[in-house]
Amino acid sequence: MQDNAHILQDQVQQAITEQQALCIQGGNSKAFYGFAVQADLLDTSGHSGIIEYEPTELVLRARAGTPLIEINSALKQHQQMLACEPPCFSQSATLGGAVAAGLSGPSRPYRASIQDSVLGCTILNGQAQILGFGGKVMKNVAGYDVSRLMAGSLGCLGVILDVTLKVIPSARAEKSFVFTIEPGNSPAFINDLRKRGLPVSATCQLCAQLMVRFSAGNTEIAELENRLKEHYSFIEWRESQDHQFWEQLREHDHPFFDQASTLWRLSLPADADIYGLADKPEDVLSEWGGSLHWLKTTKSADEIFNHASVNNGQATLFRYPAAQQPATIFQPLAPALEQWHKSLKAAFDPLGIFNPGKMYTQD
Amino acid sequence: MACAIRYSATWISAVADPVIREALLSALGKILEAQFILSTREQLKPFECDGLSVYKALPMVAVLPGTVKEVQAIIRLCHQMKVPLVTRGAGTGLSAGAKPDPEGLLLVLTRLSSILEINSATQTARLQPGVRNLAISEAVKQHGLFYAPDPSSQIACSIGGNIAENAGGVHCLKYGLTIHNVLQVSGFTMAGDPVTIGNGGLDNAGLNLLPLIIGSEGMLMVVTEIMVKLLPLPSQVEVILAAFDSIEKAGQAVSNIIAQGVIPGGLEMMDNNAIRAAEDYAHAGYPRDAAAILLIEIDGSAVNVSEQLQSTRQVLQDSGVTSVKIAKTDTEKALFWKGRKSAFPAVGRLSPDYYCMDGTIPRKSLAEVLGYIHTLSEQYGFAVANVFHAGDGNLHPLILFDANQPGQLESVESMGAKILEKCIEVGGTITGEHGVGLEKIRQMPMQFSDDEISQFHSIKAALDPDNLLNPGKNIPLLKHCQEYRALAKNLQPNQLLIQHEPTA
Ligand SMILES: Cc1cc2nc3c(=O)[nH]c(=O)nc-3n(C[C@H](O)[C@H](O)[C@H](O)COP(=O)(O)OP(=O)(O)OC[C@H]3O[C@@H](n4cnc5c(N)ncnc54)[C@H](O)[C@@H]3O)c2cc1C
Repeated sequence: MQDNAHILQDQVQQAITEQQALCIQGGNSKAFYGFAVQADLLDTSGHSGIIEYEPTELVLRARAGTPLIEINSALKQHQQMLACEPPCFSQSATLGGAVAAGLSGPSRPYRASIQDSVLGCTILNGQAQILGFGGKVMKNVAGYDVSRLMAGSLGCLGVILDVTLKVIPSARAEKSFVFTIEPGNSPAFINDLRKRGLPVSATCQLCAQLMVRFSAGNTEIAELENRLKEHYSFIEWRESQDHQFWEQLREHDHPFFDQASTLWRLSLPADADIYGLADKPEDVLSEWGGSLHWLKTTKSADEIFNHASVNNGQATLFRYPAAQQPATIFQPLAPALEQWHKSLKAAFDPLGIFNPGKMYTQD
Repeated sequence: MACAIRYSATWISAVADPVIREALLSALGKILEAQFILSTREQLKPFECDGLSVYKALPMVAVLPGTVKEVQAIIRLCHQMKVPLVTRGAGTGLSAGAKPDPEGLLLVLTRLSSILEINSATQTARLQPGVRNLAISEAVKQHGLFYAPDPSSQIACSIGGNIAENAGGVHCLKYGLTIHNVLQVSGFTMAGDPVTIGNGGLDNAGLNLLPLIIGSEGMLMVVTEIMVKLLPLPSQVEVILAAFDSIEKAGQAVSNIIAQGVIPGGLEMMDNNAIRAAEDYAHAGYPRDAAAILLIEIDGSAVNVSEQLQSTRQVLQDSGVTSVKIAKTDTEKALFWKGRKSAFPAVGRLSPDYYCMDGTIPRKSLAEVLGYIHTLSEQYGFAVANVFHAGDGNLHPLILFDANQPGQLESVESMGAKILEKCIEVGGTITGEHGVGLEKIRQMPMQFSDDEISQFHSIKAALDPDNLLNPGKNIPLLKHCQEYRALAKNLQPNQLLIQHEPTA
């Protein structure tokens, strides 16, 4: 538990003076994500600790270097949780890194994304100024929403010093069921579950098996099986006893992710095809009601980006062999948007100090 | 939508350069049919203000394009001629965000009002910006879906305006604000280049620009198409009307309800002034003698709802509720909400004018801040009706006054400024959903440092380098910040905060 904001500020100031780029690092759990950055290290992990947590306000504020596991355990004591279940990928994962990576876990479509949960943050911009945006209230439209812009910015705009998040009450009960259903029919089936008011909180499709998690109050979960019997006698289903499943999925400890040296992540509308890109069906794992896909494929990056773009979605080369520095990782941007990225980068970090080339090679 | 304030007919007379005006009009004539180019005083009058009519001005010209192509050509023309451009949706905004620029063009998007696509498979709808908020939920109801953010102005306000303000509503406590319910926006940069933010999936490529655009008050781009997320209609909905004999108890009950671990679909509060006004107006069945009421909506599956209904009743009892009524029929549910949703116009009948504030505070400070507002109300001699999104801590004190009495408007603004400062003091914000616009620009330096304000200016300059989109709104000039801070410190009741525009 330590406030290192001014130490970090001095380090950024020094980098400005020496015109030296910085690679921002929290727990180093997601360094694989995005392009590798060649620069001096700016380590935020020492800037740590929960600053404020008021369970009755559903608000938690913590320094960027606070380990996610520390936050999760503090929340658990009050039967609360982070709405999006962000992946850790390592025990060392920090809050700042989770927000900067912008990755949300299995519950994202049904609860919130990580950026949805951000209420405010303090940052260090490229002029070594400490700036605060947003706040700790649920609604706030004063000025531009810089705090949520920081989510997913991969440290390219500034150093996140602390973040205030909206947290949610944990569901009192949970059960998962496995349904036998072809992937093409799943999105409609999931919609149907939700229209019946069944409390879907995560989905995962692998070949013809759809795993669905339901989270709600005790009575509702106790009655779930009867309701499923009532409506879904025409398909095969059973309760799953695999209580580690969702955590393994979130952390990529699920067997699907074994030996995946090259792994694509595609975010597409739920009615878009994904199997056309796969060599075989078992190379696709889909979450988020069929709108997030993990893909192992031999298809070229161009083909994948093109497929994503034609379907009004986006693709990311999520993991690649360490020895190889790919030409593109993130979905190429349309010209006006690319220009906006460059000018926004310059607006926050005029000297290009932070994470140069992390997101787009030319940023 | 009724204007919040009737105010003596003042506007800033057109100061536009006649040469530029003529050139602009003639170029516009090549883009649009003449009937959609408004340039006379009579034609422009209806567009002189938004819902906050203390701020008004006639634009040099107003245009009503009917196609996206026309919009692009108009933007390009303004860019080329360096003419300021203010976009307008339905004009229900409450912070003067859509107030015209006397030297600029007003781009009115109400004719772009088509629902382009409803996709029940992806549970999304593609909309033009002029689609009315309520029209979305009405159109998708047949698919068992709804669009969650429901501002009280929803019969009139446009989705384009909702995007610009990050509008909230009664159901945002559970289902989120506009930002949480929009997947993609498309439109044009001030240079007239097409730009699309977000996509049909749930994650963005590159920087997360949706939150930058949503809530940017028309300062960064012109939005011409929106893809919203739709939600399945809950199978059961119950509405509770809970009455209290003190505001403090009602405020505490709000915190207690959230603390029990269940988020209701809606959680709204009204004080006695608002209750009486709404009851007289809508005959909603509110108890006229209650010091405060809470309207609580519980939705979900039948089991879920009955479980929550029970626990909420218990919390209300423990919080000292004096009476609890649960709406028995759909008509009664609608009536309970009608009273709340028509509270602004209802309060409007109590006094010649009212001023609507929008500060947001941590829920735990509700009783303290409401008490402070009560003290100010006595100190300044203006009655206040409180009607607000209690679950979100988003206050809407309506200060009742008469703008025709000299000095009253200025005095009300000074009282309003004090309320906003109190909101900041307890850890809140000057605006929860109505935006800064022109109205709260003086309070921005109270919430933000000069460095933070400079950062806002550089964002604006990055996306609109010529400062042509809605200039002068939202972010105060640095040179004024010190002055606003100094003024606020010395502010006394009845001391003028600002001088209003002189009568033309
Ligand atoms: C009685 C009443 C009740 C209200 N209740 C609520 C409430 O519960 N919650 C809430 O959030 N608000 C509420 N409001 C405020 C208002 O209705 C909202 O701010 C609404 O979102 C404004 O929409 P509009 O179409 O009227 O926008 P306008 O007033 O026309 O414009 C608002 C802003 O948006 C910009 N803009 C509009 N369209 C575009 C576009 N296509 N592209 C770029 N910029 C654009 C304008 O330049 C302006 O800055 C209420 C207002 C009234 C009068």
